[in-house]
Amino acid sequence: MTHRLTRSALLALTLLATPARADVPEALDKDILPGFAGFTAATATLAEAAQADCDPQALRAPWNAAFDAWLEVAHLRMGPFEEAGRGLAIAFWPDPKNIGGRQMAAMLQAADPALLSPEGTAQISVAARGLFGLERLLYTEAAQANPAYACKLTAALAGDLARMAAEMETAWTGPYGDLLRSPGAPGNATFLTEAEVRQALFTQLLTGLELDAANRIGRPLGSFDKPRPERAEAIASGRSLTNVARSLAALHRLAEALAQGLGEIPATEAAFARAQTLAAGLDDPVFASVADPSGRLKVEILQQAIEATRAAAETELGALLGVSAGFNSADGD
Amino acid sequence: MQRRTFLTSLAAAAATPRLSWADAGSPAYLAAARRPGGDYALFGLDAAGAPLFSQPMPARGHAATSHPTRPEAVAFARRPGTFALVLDCARGVVTARLTPPEGRQFNGHGAFSQDGSVLYTSEVVAEGSAGRIGLWDAARGYARIGEFASGGIGPHEIRRLPMSDDLVIANGGIETDPSDRTPLNLDRMRPNLSYMTPEGVITEVIELPDLARNSIRHLALRPDGLVAFAMQWQGDPAEPVPLLGLHRRGAAPVLAEPKDEEMFAMQGYAGSVAFAPGGAEVAITSPKGGRLQVFSATGAPLWSVARADVCGLGPCPAGGFVVTDGVGLVARADQGVLSPMASSNVSWDNHLIALG
Repeated sequence: MTHRLTRSALLALTLLATPARADVPEALDKDILPGFAGFTAATATLAEAAQADCDPQALRAPWNAAFDAWLEVAHLRMGPFEEAGRGLAIAFWPDPKNIGGRQMAAMLQAADPALLSPEGTAQISVAARGLFGLERLLYTEAAQANPAYACKLTAALAGDLARMAAEMETAWTGPYGDLLRSPGAPGNATFLTEAEVRQALFTQLLTGLELDAANRIGRPLGSFDKPRPERAEAIASGRSLTNVARSLAALHRLAEALAQGLGEIPATEAAFARAQTLAAGLDDPVFASVADPSGRLKVEILQQAIEATRAAAETELGALLGVSAGFNSADGD
Repeated sequence: MQRRTFLTSLAAAAATPRLSWADAGSPAYLAAARRPGGDYALFGLDAAGAPLFSQPMPARGHAATSHPTRPEAVAFARRPGTFALVLDCARGVVTARLTPPEGRQFNGHGAFSQDGSVLYTSEVVAEGSAGRIGLWDAARGYARIGEFASGGIGPHEIRRLPMSDDLVIANGGIETDPSDRTPLNLDRMRPNLSYMTPEGVITEVIELPDLARNSIRHLALRPDGLVAFAMQWQGDPAEPVPLLGLHRRGAAPVLAEPKDEEMFAMQGYAGSVAFAPGGAEVAITSPKGGRLQVFSATGAPLWSVARADVCGLGPCPAGGFVVTDGVGLVARADQGVLSPMASSNVSWDNHLIALG
């Protein structure tokens, strides 16, 4: 009944080789790295424009292009996203206590010149930086408290965003991407097996779908008795539904990249197609209709379609990749 | 285990001389796990993280507690638990099987009295989740000898204070459906940390009124009596809240806030808590966030490491912490660096129990 395992037996277990598969390099080269290159380019364009002219009207187009580019990679909440709080600093939402808004008001009041240098801007709270910090300056009345400082802060935050985007791309094309490509290599304590890499990317896909359904749609939906349209994402810029649609498109590509060469995922494809069609057909850009029964129903149907996509991907793609939800993370105790 | 094997084991145990933890190979840790075939077991691990022995369990385990002198461990079923097994780790036999009284459920944790004569188990009344501490006679075959109230709803971990027979209990505050763990009272939950005498007289209760939805669930104790408590947030996931508290009897609790950039890294969930050797550092793990966060014993954030599905956590005698995960890894985490120690083809469950 008692099993005494020798070290050599253990070693043999860990050395069981898994055949090389193409899914991870496919996903990296065809989806992830181009996405980060696009985000770097879009934020660099925004930073240059903001440096030349901080007029909010003129910066809205490059800001939207940067947000679009972010949604291509925003679901990759691992590695460079987590380091130095970059993911939070790039897009701090949801923010139910309006920490970002309060910090922005305080900065405009204090008008501290030290925050305008690259080093200074990087020290600003994650809640007040990034795309949502810029949205407050470009789309709300906040800047009117101190237009001169707001102008300089706009350029500083755009530069900070471009810096973070470039750092993420550098990490993904270099050291972090290498970790995904070389699981189990000496010194790679992040990924010990190829299965762990697949598990990590698969988790990003499922979490991305969960956050679209639970946050981007679920927060404004609230409950039937207490709808919360004011909690939708990026209301000031009118991007709430756009963000859902673009996120779904990016997640769809990640799912296809992961499945490529391994097999077909017809149920997942059908579920994505349905959710994306519903999002494209919804005439409610900031989910303002959630307080109205018929409008609410359409938003709920989109949410359910995204939840169904997650369920399909978990079952179908999970089986294809040979991975499943974490043993402890799914336990909850 | 077959009844005949069980009786034979008992007879063998009675016929042989008294054994110590050295006769069990001096394991450094205990951990429950799922094996590749889908069955469950309790493992003893050496200081390098390699399995020394394993003992089958009839269903998924959660935590375990070790007898202070005998090489004996009590392994608890996952909540809502219907069994706990007393294991003779030297002989590799089950010496007793504990079943909660009618209408009670084990909650996955227990603790021994200082002399090892009494086992205390964390339990709930199945209907309503009122907390109970069950008492079992560890000197005479683990007969049920009594129970008292835990001081709250849904108690989870129970620990004995160092150099004392007083107890500290994490009353999680969550009333659950008796059959499926569905929470029923999130809008009115009141978790607390309760201290009590071995007779069940409550001597101190700590509540966090501003964080009523932060379920206090797991505990670690420093030899000087400092209690670290780990929490699980049941409120809005978009609200950043501390998940680790530190408390010394008679003083106000200190909440450990993570660094700004890590405020959501744990996804509102801490699954295990432990002090490092020396007690200057204390850590919490989150399998949901895939993160170990380390704080000073005064609550200041120090360092963290990322690892998917990490949960089991204990001190590493060489410094820092030992962590386990759901894909069989045992690793040392020290000063922000994760170093694999051993890998087994099992899924390590929520807790790593340090012995000795």
